[in-house]
Amino acid sequence: MINKKLTPSEERQRQRFIEKSSRVSAKYLRRLTELKGAPDTLKPFIDVLENIYVNMDGPHFNTKKPLIGTYCVMVPQELIYAAGGQPIKLCSGSYTAFSIGDDLVPRDACPLIKAVMGYQTMCVMPIYDDCSMMIVPITCDCKKKMAGMLKDLVNTYSFHIPTSKEDDTDLDQIVNELYELIPALESVTGQSITHKSLSESLDQVGFAQYQMTRFNEFKKNQPALIKGTHAMAVMNASSYMPINDFSEKLYLLNQELAKRKKSKVFVSQKKEPRLMVTGSPIIFPNIKIPLLIEEMGGSLVADETCMGERSLYDPAVVVDQSFDGMMRALANRYTRPCTCPTFVNNDQRIFRIKQMIKDHQVEGVIYHVLRGCLVYDFEYQMLEEELGKLNVPIIRVESDYNEEDIEQLRIRIEAFIELIKLKDLQKK
Amino acid sequence: MKNYYAGLDGGSTYTKAALLHGNQVVDAMVTNTGIDNNTSAIELIEKMCQRRGIGRSEIKYIMATGYSRKVFEVADDDISEITAHAYGVRVTAPQEYRPGMIVDIGGQDSKIIYLDQNYAVKNFTMNDKCAAGTGKFMEVIAQILETTIDQVGPLSLESKAPCDINSTCVVFAQSEVISLVARKYDRRDILAGMHLSMAKRIIKMMKKSEKGGDILMTGGGALNIGVHKAFEEEMMRDVYVAKYPQFNGAIGAALIASERI
Repeated sequence: MINKKLTPSEERQRQRFIEKSSRVSAKYLRRLTELKGAPDTLKPFIDVLENIYVNMDGPHFNTKKPLIGTYCVMVPQELIYAAGGQPIKLCSGSYTAFSIGDDLVPRDACPLIKAVMGYQTMCVMPIYDDCSMMIVPITCDCKKKMAGMLKDLVNTYSFHIPTSKEDDTDLDQIVNELYELIPALESVTGQSITHKSLSESLDQVGFAQYQMTRFNEFKKNQPALIKGTHAMAVMNASSYMPINDFSEKLYLLNQELAKRKKSKVFVSQKKEPRLMVTGSPIIFPNIKIPLLIEEMGGSLVADETCMGERSLYDPAVVVDQSFDGMMRALANRYTRPCTCPTFVNNDQRIFRIKQMIKDHQVEGVIYHVLRGCLVYDFEYQMLEEELGKLNVPIIRVESDYNEEDIEQLRIRIEAFIELIKLKDLQKK
Repeated sequence: MKNYYAGLDGGSTYTKAALLHGNQVVDAMVTNTGIDNNTSAIELIEKMCQRRGIGRSEIKYIMATGYSRKVFEVADDDISEITAHAYGVRVTAPQEYRPGMIVDIGGQDSKIIYLDQNYAVKNFTMNDKCAAGTGKFMEVIAQILETTIDQVGPLSLESKAPCDINSTCVVFAQSEVISLVARKYDRRDILAGMHLSMAKRIIKMMKKSEKGGDILMTGGGALNIGVHKAFEEEMMRDVYVAKYPQFNGAIGAALIASERI
């Protein structure tokens, strides 16, 4: 949707942008498929990424539902589905869009915001341009200011999240916010959210969550049944898939992983260090870090970022079947287990990470910090201290959306993997 | 026929080789990395063999490390420089050193490695996007002050009042030094100031939480006594220098090679 007429030089810039952006995405998609051990049933997810990022097509499905762009996992998908909309997650990892956005926001803003602003102003991606509304949770400073900037370009809704998640007051706040979102959604979709439509969408998302839990169980297997980078591709693709379609494809993938488990087909060797990624989100095509981990002989077995399983892991538990009961269940599900560092007190993230280390038998943690992502950087020290007590090594890896630092990242990741291997030898 | 093990450290500026026999350093050699690092590496190995009267077949395993570790065809395997340095200090650290921290000052990067009491790597931090606080920085300044890299250290020790050099970027620091020269400052004071500012920059990279153990300097930068003294002055504690600091990576690689057989 381009409102103004482009000058010839702007038009040429736009063409170059499209070509570059699609080439970079194609390259990372190739590295993703070249990484050994991809299950056959991964293909539909790869196709989604290819369609969106390489072919620059609209969402990979026929829908007459209005698209609602969301900018964080704290936006309840259930409400959007119940209003007859199709949610789509727009947080971006594009190197090309990042370089455009670099001129639009302050230097110290995070690359995610830069990439989003790049896409929004270039008007080349149908997933951005076809959205009827954007919902931006007001969480970190960058998201907050982004919401302000987006307002001038598109229909943007600021979704206010309380900064704490400890007592009934803040739960009431988020319940109110959810109620306020309802008319905004209804005015865009032209449908009302009813008891029936909401309980249906809760069921649909619930099924996806159930499949996600199964998928996560398979990720605990030692040796690994699926490469962590491939698992990340699944989660990235989920951003652009209707929930039922996603559940169906994930069900098939789970079936294949179950078969692998039964016939002992593994994608990692026994001695490969099992690593976990946490910190700032890793979004396609910015998958250099997971790729480096697995290319350098590590096995990525757990992903605690908000683009990982976290987005669909915890189910909404409806105790009270009334409409209000469902709304409260949603408020609960989208804030209480959320480990976003924008909450004032986020001790719970440490517990979650420790639990994941135990469940997934993690031997080392890679802490990803996107340059400018202060809130995640803040929590590094506390985690380092806590993991030190457990004797689990952790390394902070800072990066942004460019490919120039790949060699620097490689040496850090390689040395970290060696460190774990040698630690293992000493134990024996 | 004896068993020897070799380590090759392909740095950005120099390529270093070390020969080990039963944890003893038999020989070590250095050459400019140049544009054909593979040939320089082969020549280093051959020269060491010649000098020590060792047959090439007596070298049982060659381990490569450093910047160009992946391109040495003579090497049997390669290892990251972090691991290599951590191993190297088992041989090169002075007797009284209690493992804690290694400060490695290379040609184009500097790194800090944290060790536990068994010399195992606990963690590390690197500065590799910026030349300030590296050997290259020293070389550039030495050139401006019309001296050589080996004179920089001794000259700086004669300084009575070190100059302030505040720029954190090598390019800006260079112009700062030029303006100090123009204002007729003694080059000994400029050099002393340079060493202090280098030390300050690297100390900033250190983690405050890692206080246990001693500090050991490795890498070509540790050959500069001025830097060594500047570290002691800035940190106000003892800083040790490894034996053969420039060869520490190569020695570590050779030590790992000896464990492979």
